Amino acid sequence: MSYKFLGVFIAFLCPALHAEIIGEYSFDNRYFFNSGLQGQEKNHSSFTLSPEIFHENEDSIFHFKPKLRKDNIDTERNLVDIQELYLINILEDKEIKYGVSKEFWGVTETTHRVDIINQTDAVESLDGEDKLGQPMVKVSFEENWGLIDFYALLGFRERTFSGYDGRLRQPMIVDTDRPHYLSAAKNKRMDFAFRWSNYFDQLEVAISHFSGTSREPRFILTNENLKELVPLYEVIDQTGFEFQYLLGGFAIKSEIISRSGQEDRFTAATYGFEYTQVGIFGSRLDLGWIVEANHDDRLPSSPAVIGTRLTINDTSDTQILSGIIYDEKSEELGFLLEASRRLGICCSISIEGFYFDDTNEDNEEFKLFQAYKEDDFLRFELIYYMGD
Amino acid sequence: MSLVNLGKKIFIFSAIVLSVSNPTYANDALEIAILSDQNNSGFIDSSSDMTMNLINRKGDVVTRKLRFKRLEVPGDGDKSIAIFESPRDVKGVAILSYAHKVKSDDQWLYLPALKRVKRIASKNKSGPFLGSEFSFEDFSFQEVEKYEYKYIGEEDYLNLKCFIIERTPLDPYSGYTKQLVWIDQENYLIHKIHLFDRKSFHLKTQKFEEYKLYEGFFWQPHKVEMINHQNGKSSILLFENVKLNSGFTDRDFTQNSLKRSR
Repeated sequence: MSYKFLGVFIAFLCPALHAEIIGEYSFDNRYFFNSGLQGQEKNHSSFTLSPEIFHENEDSIFHFKPKLRKDNIDTERNLVDIQELYLINILEDKEIKYGVSKEFWGVTETTHRVDIINQTDAVESLDGEDKLGQPMVKVSFEENWGLIDFYALLGFRERTFSGYDGRLRQPMIVDTDRPHYLSAAKNKRMDFAFRWSNYFDQLEVAISHFSGTSREPRFILTNENLKELVPLYEVIDQTGFEFQYLLGGFAIKSEIISRSGQEDRFTAATYGFEYTQVGIFGSRLDLGWIVEANHDDRLPSSPAVIGTRLTINDTSDTQILSGIIYDEKSEELGFLLEASRRLGICCSISIEGFYFDDTNEDNEEFKLFQAYKEDDFLRFELIYYMGD
Repeated sequence: MSLVNLGKKIFIFSAIVLSVSNPTYANDALEIAILSDQNNSGFIDSSSDMTMNLINRKGDVVTRKLRFKRLEVPGDGDKSIAIFESPRDVKGVAILSYAHKVKSDDQWLYLPALKRVKRIASKNKSGPFLGSEFSFEDFSFQEVEKYEYKYIGEEDYLNLKCFIIERTPLDPYSGYTKQLVWIDQENYLIHKIHLFDRKSFHLKTQKFEEYKLYEGFFWQPHKVEMINHQNGKSSILLFENVKLNSGFTDRDFTQNSLKRSR
């Protein structure tokens, strides 16, 4: 019913505003080479619809972007979300955003430590880059001393987790119906955040702070339900630092966070570099190298990533991203592949693959990817872009 | 006569005086470059819609559309924003550039799907722009200070008496070792550039056509063609809706404006 309502709403609103309708439809199929550890199916498909309305005036912007996802197997992967529904007011000395939106913080490529405004739509993809819309009021000032954003975050979104029939999950599933909150206001707590960023020639820096409900839950077992993990959303304080320095063809990057509120205060960091070779072997191909290492006080070890991004620079924008994740301590290895290209003027296709290998099963260290060991997959996605 | 034209005449006069006292070819070439650059300055701000046709060896055409805004910065290079309109999958992608006269340009890329602003290394400028035969470097502004000049001679090109000057990029990350530039002797407009790659091979030819004069001093080519001699492909850039003096300010060329630019 809500789907129909949305369609009617868009159909009436757009001509009235002379707004442009864009957005995308996508179909994806993930084929897992083996049945799941808990006997889940090999083939999982989903369909996503995400239209967009965008309208701008001299001093204001309206943007609406819902996202609807239907999965053929895992009902926990079904989604009705408002990604964007905001109004921006552009004033002489500041910009104010009211409504639901997404905000990205950070500089690194593989792990996003400081990015905390939005909740992760964890069932969408492995990389954690897909987010849920967050209601907010944001005031932004941009002067010679940099860009500073203040956020009042109105309400909390829970993280998405795979259900019984879903893949890429822990042995116990997460009870998303009964989350526990440490704040008495539960998911109605108002959170605050700010971020300052500036650049000095080749150096980019940012400092941020977030005070509110942790986007990343810890898990507990309760007497009511011993079969499922209950997410515990605590109130945290997290300070983040971002740093990027361009040196010749190198972009040297680092993100560090310090968080309190989930037992002891801890530090976590991602650091590394990106290097691009333009026109390899005298061709028009670019080859980018991404090397990033991780540290997390909470884990006995953290994996490092070496990736390459091959840009063909053809008229179809063909790109092939591949990476190896390796954890020295547990001796676990993962391969990632992501290739995409445009198809005609309206579509694009992408292929994503993940292969996991425990190179030494006798190693008794804590295994990071143990739960995913039967989850090697290939994902095919076709996207249709609306527009004229 | 506009002030700019008057300035130009005075400049030519002083150039002649200068060349008498110091008759080196390098100076002649630099003066020609400075006069040519004046055709593209003093506009305060400008905006235009661009269509880019990418043509392969077989003659198949694919089209890209962009919007472009530019602001002059007194004493430094220009600020600009390029916003991609089509193809649909890159709609809303935008690039903010702060060009500098000598030091390397500052550039940020906005990716709307991730809502991420990413600083990009301007040294990667020799790579293709949007899969076209134009490189990022061809797309940025040719500040006079970014080259060393040498006077080559005169030649008629398209019934125009032209100077030919050679310019050598000072930026070690440039994709070119040298460029030969044809500039007409009447209005000092650039009509053709031969671009030589790092192996000093004549890789590409850039042609500037359909010049129109705005406000009596600003010359804008409405068709710029880049022909790649190595792969037989070419790209044609067409300009429409060229507007000067829209009242842009620094606030229209910030990271915030980049994020809301589409």
